[in-house]
Amino acid sequence: MTEAAIVVEDLTVRFGDFTAVDRVSLRVERGEIFGFLGANGAGKTTTIRVLTGLLSPTEGRVVVAGLSFERGANAIKARVGYMSQKFTLYTDLTVAENLEFAAALRKIPPEIHRRRSRDLLDFVGFHSRPDTLVRDLPGGLKQEVSLVASLLHDPEIVFLDEPTAGVSPAARARFWVLIRGLAARGKTVFVTTHYMDEAGECGRIALMRAGAIIALGAPDELKARAFPEPLYELHFPEAPPVGWRDAALSAGTIQPHGLRWHVTVRDPRRWEDARGLWGATARIRRIEPSLEDVFLRWVEGPA
Amino acid sequence: MNATLVGFVRKEFRQALRDRRMRVVIFVIPVVQMTLFGLALSNEVKNVRLSVQAPPADRLMDDLRKGAWGSGWFRPAPDQGDPVRLLETGRADAVLIAPGGGASRARERGDGRAQLVVDGTNALRARAIDGYVHALLRRASDETPPPVVAFDVRTLYNPTLATAVYLVPGVMGLILGLITILLTSMSLAREREMGTLETLLAAPVPRWEIFLGKTLPFVLLGLADVPLLVGFAHLVFGVPVRGPLWALALNAGAFVVTMVATGTLISTFAKNQQQAMMGGFLFLFPAILLSGVMAPVENFPLWAKPLAWLNPIQYFVSLNRQVMLRGAVGPLFWSEWAVLCALGVVIALWAAARLNPDLR
Amino acid sequence: MRRFSGPRALSVARKEIRHVRRDPFTLAMAVGVPVLLVVFFGYVLDFDVRDIRLRIVDRDNTPASRALAETFTASGYFKPHGPPAVSALRLLAEGRVKAAVFIEPGFAEDIARGIPARAQVVIDGADNQTAGVIAGYLDGVATVAARRLGADPPADLLRTRFLFNNELNSRWFVVTGLFVVVMGVLSILMTALTVAREWETGSMELLLSTPVRPLEMILGKLAPYLGLCLASTGLIYAAARLLFHVPFRGSLWFFLAANVLFLCCTLAQGLLISVLTRQQQLAMQFSNLTGLLPALLLSGFIFPVESMPAFFRILTWALPARHFMELCRGIILKGAGPLELARPALWLAGLAAALIGWASVKFKRDLEP
Repeated sequence: MTEAAIVVEDLTVRFGDFTAVDRVSLRVERGEIFGFLGANGAGKTTTIRVLTGLLSPTEGRVVVAGLSFERGANAIKARVGYMSQKFTLYTDLTVAENLEFAAALRKIPPEIHRRRSRDLLDFVGFHSRPDTLVRDLPGGLKQEVSLVASLLHDPEIVFLDEPTAGVSPAARARFWVLIRGLAARGKTVFVTTHYMDEAGECGRIALMRAGAIIALGAPDELKARAFPEPLYELHFPEAPPVGWRDAALSAGTIQPHGLRWHVTVRDPRRWEDARGLWGATARIRRIEPSLEDVFLRWVEGPA
Repeated sequence: MNATLVGFVRKEFRQALRDRRMRVVIFVIPVVQMTLFGLALSNEVKNVRLSVQAPPADRLMDDLRKGAWGSGWFRPAPDQGDPVRLLETGRADAVLIAPGGGASRARERGDGRAQLVVDGTNALRARAIDGYVHALLRRASDETPPPVVAFDVRTLYNPTLATAVYLVPGVMGLILGLITILLTSMSLAREREMGTLETLLAAPVPRWEIFLGKTLPFVLLGLADVPLLVGFAHLVFGVPVRGPLWALALNAGAFVVTMVATGTLISTFAKNQQQAMMGGFLFLFPAILLSGVMAPVENFPLWAKPLAWLNPIQYFVSLNRQVMLRGAVGPLFWSEWAVLCALGVVIALWAAARLNPDLR
Repeated sequence: MRRFSGPRALSVARKEIRHVRRDPFTLAMAVGVPVLLVVFFGYVLDFDVRDIRLRIVDRDNTPASRALAETFTASGYFKPHGPPAVSALRLLAEGRVKAAVFIEPGFAEDIARGIPARAQVVIDGADNQTAGVIAGYLDGVATVAARRLGADPPADLLRTRFLFNNELNSRWFVVTGLFVVVMGVLSILMTALTVAREWETGSMELLLSTPVRPLEMILGKLAPYLGLCLASTGLIYAAARLLFHVPFRGSLWFFLAANVLFLCCTLAQGLLISVLTRQQQLAMQFSNLTGLLPALLLSGFIFPVESMPAFFRILTWALPARHFMELCRGIILKGAGPLELARPALWLAGLAAALIGWASVKFKRDLEP
């Protein structure tokens, strides 16, 4: 009996000639908030589909909530909740009717459903009338109702596929309060996102690229691994001096970052020389690498 | 009571009946259409515009004219003008030309046939017009010798040969079939397009429950239309219901189930709503033409008959006519009903098999 | 006030063409399916009534009565049917035969005595089309039977000439009717979803942000489908002439013009439904309900418009298919020209203008908040 919530070993998913997921292995512990990052088309959604029982793997071993695919996908579906990327509530039904239908699908007895839906709606802070048609709800509220629907059957593990896409920053922050709340209740949360600041909130994250995992670990761990050398932000308020680029490149590598530059210093002595050379024309400060830097370096940079 | 199925029925009913326009589509339009078609349609040959061209004092032709307008089958058309032109312009359906000097005089002489020029574009109508004019002439001449063989004709079940009585049971099948296919063929495609299909598949619901959940609500809605249509047919058109009601119910039940299964099957093939609609049309159009309402099934060429035998609408129409108009429930009824049920089962199984829970 | 811009309408049309080009399914439906349907049902639908199942009960059992029975079976119209053990009335009640003939004892005696010999014919009136035809055939059977029994045939009072179709071939009539019905229904379905789909997917918002005027959008959307449908018409025309040898007696230009007018009506009808419903599912329901059955039943395809009560005949003036049916049959089978067919042609033009106008007005209301 494994303790881990999710165990994936060498998962491969192929559609004809195309390999969407290439020998992915990972392990998620109970109560973790696990983040899944990657560019579009990297294979994140496909992997989630396998883990939620919607898609069967071509090769590899998958154990979710102690159950593997051999017992049939429905066993897995009963233990997990899934909030998909596309918005999947019925827009022509009310909030209450949608939740009622979701409960009927999972054969939740009516009293339990009533209690739980009230709790959950409270939990997400939904205070509008439950007989509002879903299409009349503002954007952020729709995500919240969708989350409630995926939690109705009290699953141990919840999969959230880009849950905050297209939502205001305030609503996003509120949503992550909810996610932390879920983890505090002992649920395992598996979330994919594009937002780097959200990735920073996860216990551990996995970076996916072209169907394979290229990095896996806690955010700080990954930052340290990607940027073992010190990182500086370089900025010239007025015109940069001639030849500054050569001077910087002699000291390390540079990456544009908005209107400024991030310099990874490899040769500290040359760096000091360069700083001396530029003097007061350069504004330099030491920075901590962000996950965005990590992402740019590993996922979108050259292979 | 299976909670999932009840949930499905609730959801589909709410979605279908919430919009007032859908309520009109499901309940009002079928009744309106039945009224319209029942009152308007007739395959009798009536209102034939007849031009009678004869010299002014021709008494025989005058008698004929009186007989013609009086019979109710004919309407007057211009008596002058080139017959061919009259037919070309559509101002007359047939032109009767008296023999030279007038028909009365020709009869006295014992010779001379009248000439009839008929618009032949509609062959059935043309033949009937020929027969009618023959009858008119005979009546006007009243000098025919007694026939050698004479027939006493008795028409059963519809003595007045009222068209509505014959047509309405058939038209009922067309309307019921149309509405059930319309309701179901888009349902799955719509869920796929909107993305809600994933919600369904993400839940641990076995395939047969999804299938029943997507079909049962529409079977119920379709069946709700049946008493409406039958009641209307009986009260407004006087179409009798000579057979037992349970036979009517069996027929309607098997038919609605089969059509809902067909619509669902079409929906599994369609990638989006537009394809679903076209698929529905591709099924309905031939099914209507091969149903026996527009043209008799007996006349189909041999290679086309199997298609009629696979057509659920054809069975419903035949059984409905049998039950409503003739009333007897014999071996023919049971064998046709069994085939209809078998069709329904096969199509339903096929549709259920195609409902693949794997989102591949 | 924005003026009508041809180039803007053209760009709407171009975009629509791109949609269609990338959708092989719609292309196949628009161009391939109509001709297949017309050809198939041109061969299948046959309105000559033959092989009517008949049961003859001969209680006289004389050469004369047998001669009468033979006349029925040899006529080609009737076919004896039914197991001998089952009674004729039961066969009628169960729908296994359409008519039964009862020849009573004394038939031959009456013939010999020179008085009209009677036989009873019971017809299944539930199928009243066949019933009417059977009653019509009886005259012929009586005449032929009389001849067989040695009597003189009565003098022929009438000489009949069937114009435009002297062999009384029902196939040409059916094929032209099929053409009108198939094109009529398919064209409505093709445009019915386009506007609704744009509302549902949200791309209508994009259109609304441009200075496009309602009429430009309507015409721009109509044009590509008009082209597709005309291509389809061409195929059907070729098939009708090659396979069914349907004559074409009228003017090709007039036929083409009538086609364009008719298609403008039906395509506009589909667009109107799309504009009014804004939802694909509803658009589909309404377009099928207002398109399919009315075109099949009320246009004069099989059930003649002339046979309808006056009220309903007037109602059909609002149905484009009815006028087009008249035009097609007139041009193709009768060789009629614009002068003779002015009335239906003008009706079609009027209906087309009305439908396009209505669609534009309704759409205009959507554009302005």
